[in-house]
Amino acid sequence: MSDNETASSTRRDRDLTNAQDMIVCEGVSKWFGDFQALNGVSATIKEQEVVVVLGPSGSGKSTWIRCINRLEQHQEGRIVVDGVELSNDLRNIEKVRSEVGMVFQMFNLFPHLTVRDNISLAPIWVRKKPRTEAEEQATALLERVGIPEQADKFPGQLSGGQQQRVAIARALAMEPKVMLFDEPTSALDPEMIKEVLDVMKELALSGMTMMVVTHEMGFAKEVADKIMFMEGGQIVEMGTPEHFFTNPTEERTKLFLSQIL
Amino acid sequence: MTNFKDSTSTDQLNSDPAEAESSSRELPPKIAALSPSEWLKANLFSSTFNSILTVISVAAILLILRGLLSFIFNPLRQWSATATNMRLLMTQAYPENQYVRIWVSLGFLLFLAGVSLAFWRAGRRVQIAQVGKQLLAIGAFILLTTLLAPFSNKATIIWLLIGVFIIGVGMFLKPADEQKTVSSLTLLSGAFLLAILSLWVIPYGHHSYISTRTPKILAEPGTVAMTTKLPWTIMLGVAISSYFLACIFRDKIDEAKSKAVLSAAWLISPLFLLFLVLRDPDFDTGHLFSTDIPIFVFFSVVGSVLLLWLTKPEIGEKGRIISTAILFIGFGTFAISMLMIVRILTLCLAFFALAAPTFSGQKPARIRYAKVWIATMVILCWLITAINTPSTAKVPGDFFIGGFAITLMIFFFTMVLAFPLGVLLALARTSKFPIFRIISTTFIEFIRGVPLITILIFFSVMVPLFLPEGMDLTEIAAVTIAFIIFEAAYLAENVRGGLQSVTRGQHEAAEAVGMTNAQKTFFIVLPQALRVAIPPMVGQIIATFKETGLLAIIGIFDFLYIARSVIPGQTEYMGSTRENLLFVSLVYLVICFSMSKASQRVEKRVGLGER
Repeated sequence: MSDNETASSTRRDRDLTNAQDMIVCEGVSKWFGDFQALNGVSATIKEQEVVVVLGPSGSGKSTWIRCINRLEQHQEGRIVVDGVELSNDLRNIEKVRSEVGMVFQMFNLFPHLTVRDNISLAPIWVRKKPRTEAEEQATALLERVGIPEQADKFPGQLSGGQQQRVAIARALAMEPKVMLFDEPTSALDPEMIKEVLDVMKELALSGMTMMVVTHEMGFAKEVADKIMFMEGGQIVEMGTPEHFFTNPTEERTKLFLSQIL
Repeated sequence: MTNFKDSTSTDQLNSDPAEAESSSRELPPKIAALSPSEWLKANLFSSTFNSILTVISVAAILLILRGLLSFIFNPLRQWSATATNMRLLMTQAYPENQYVRIWVSLGFLLFLAGVSLAFWRAGRRVQIAQVGKQLLAIGAFILLTTLLAPFSNKATIIWLLIGVFIIGVGMFLKPADEQKTVSSLTLLSGAFLLAILSLWVIPYGHHSYISTRTPKILAEPGTVAMTTKLPWTIMLGVAISSYFLACIFRDKIDEAKSKAVLSAAWLISPLFLLFLVLRDPDFDTGHLFSTDIPIFVFFSVVGSVLLLWLTKPEIGEKGRIISTAILFIGFGTFAISMLMIVRILTLCLAFFALAAPTFSGQKPARIRYAKVWIATMVILCWLITAINTPSTAKVPGDFFIGGFAITLMIFFFTMVLAFPLGVLLALARTSKFPIFRIISTTFIEFIRGVPLITILIFFSVMVPLFLPEGMDLTEIAAVTIAFIIFEAAYLAENVRGGLQSVTRGQHEAAEAVGMTNAQKTFFIVLPQALRVAIPPMVGQIIATFKETGLLAIIGIFDFLYIARSVIPGQTEYMGSTRENLLFVSLVYLVICFSMSKASQRVEKRVGLGER
């Protein structure tokens, strides 16, 4: 993987200061009943930036990422995605969702459709593409994630790693501006994690804006432009991977790193 | 762009475990077959208590069988009552000279069945050895029956010989190679062939009911009447030849498309056969050309232009306002006097318009939507016209057909209309909008809390009194509506179970790719929910078929009513109720059992690729 390492090191040198803001969160708070899951989260993610969100379980990482495409509703604060603010207006939500791709921990492929239909369904009915074009695109995307030969199988016939790669292709088929990954490798067997991470690295190199909730420290070190560490519904520490892994400032971050490394 | 082909090498093993196993692992050890005495010991006499149970059960079974046989073969039984009145049981008093219409309808359905069996590649391979075992069992059963039944000496010898012959065939086939198989369809058509051949050879007796000026019942010895055996032979020929024709053509034409055409034909053909072939409507050409056809042309042209425009992706809010306006116009037409057909078509257009944003897209998709609209118009307009035209079939009673045919007809309409209504009710009950939820829940709980017979009596007696002046509802239509709402309420609960089994992750995945609520329901949630709901729904369908027997209680000339009340009323066949009822229950049993078997096959088929 030496060429990947050189690629990622060139990537980190890239200047993102002039890039536009893609996701802006200001004081986002969210409660489940009396339990406060998010406590005033504020962060900005720029175009082409790869952000990895780390933190112990229950720290609000998944809730935050799910708020960004409105799978959960935030109750306070603002979330603006590519200039569109998320509110109760249904059309805004649909617009944001078609611009934001999401990959789930449990894949959530549609079990009654073939892999090709899984990928081309949304482009046909949401983007209103002609069927032939959408299917060609599906074939190209399967090629890109490395499983073109599985197009006519059903999701239940694939391994976990293959299913997750199909899920990534399905999200990419909508040609999103941002990709959200909610623990994409947590439900996978160890030998399948690599194949999914490889696809994600390739995606990062191609310039996609990504927000990744994960426990894969190797991936975070290698690919992330910025690491955010969450604890108790707040962002405790934010910085480059070098800063985060070698020289963390917060006590809580040091404790977390000592437990996992 | 990087390719990740290299990392898939490990998956190949996972994706095809059967292949991997066969090369690297041994086959499981074969379990040696038990000898008959060992089998008896292991399964029937494994302990003292089990031995007692076995003896008692066998004795009980033999006693029951003997009782049943001595009932059936008692010389006092008037089986000719059923045989003579077969036409009455099947179609009530359908005119004799028009009977060819019934055969044409049946032939058309059998043709469709043959073609469909070929296209869906129905039937499985059965091992010939397995067939041999089955024949052995059948032969043994015949021997047992013959020994128990009160036959004459001659009959006993004949039946014993038949039993021994079947056992002999079974013995001959049993040691056949495991590789040798035969299609289950071949076996089935072979059985039918034998049965129909026997009509020509075996003297079952010549039974007929001659309804001239003085109705006369004929029951003479001899082979079956020509008016029965000839049509049935043709029917079998139609079914088998259509199957083989379809087998030849199926590889030459687009399979998916022809399957869609076949499914549509199955849905439409009962309407077509009932209202055009069997009913022989007396069309009023003047009215047809002055009113019906212009209305059809108007709605198809204006409707498709409107829908082509409404399905433009960029139409937005304007389209919704217009379709809502059409909906209100549609409801408004009920307030003023107007042709019923116009009201129905306007409402239909409103629903198509409301659904238009879901199906919007590029030009081919929009044209397809307009085509669906025109097809709907063709079917609806033709149906309304056919129903409104009086029938030329002159029969006693207010409906042109009865008996088993009307049982089937009401069953068909109930299923076809209750299914979509049930799905809508289930969706409404799980909807986010409280108003839909409340209406649907009230409806379902109310209907489920009332016995079916009450609803039937209410609809056949009370509802005609409530109708506004000038509106007319025949009793058959009223009870069909009663069946539809009753079954819809139950189907809705089955579908709701399916809807709840669709995981939250599926909803989220559909939402995350930006689908609207309607798209999510239609493409993701419903297909999965209905698949889960198949087993309970089939149970419900079978129950519905049996519940049609209740029609007899409210005095409709259905299958059961004719068997229970009409035939025993004939002077020749006084007191033949039990024979008729036994025949009716046999027919119900055969049909329900085949439906249940067919549904098991369907379950297996749709289970493909699920997990």
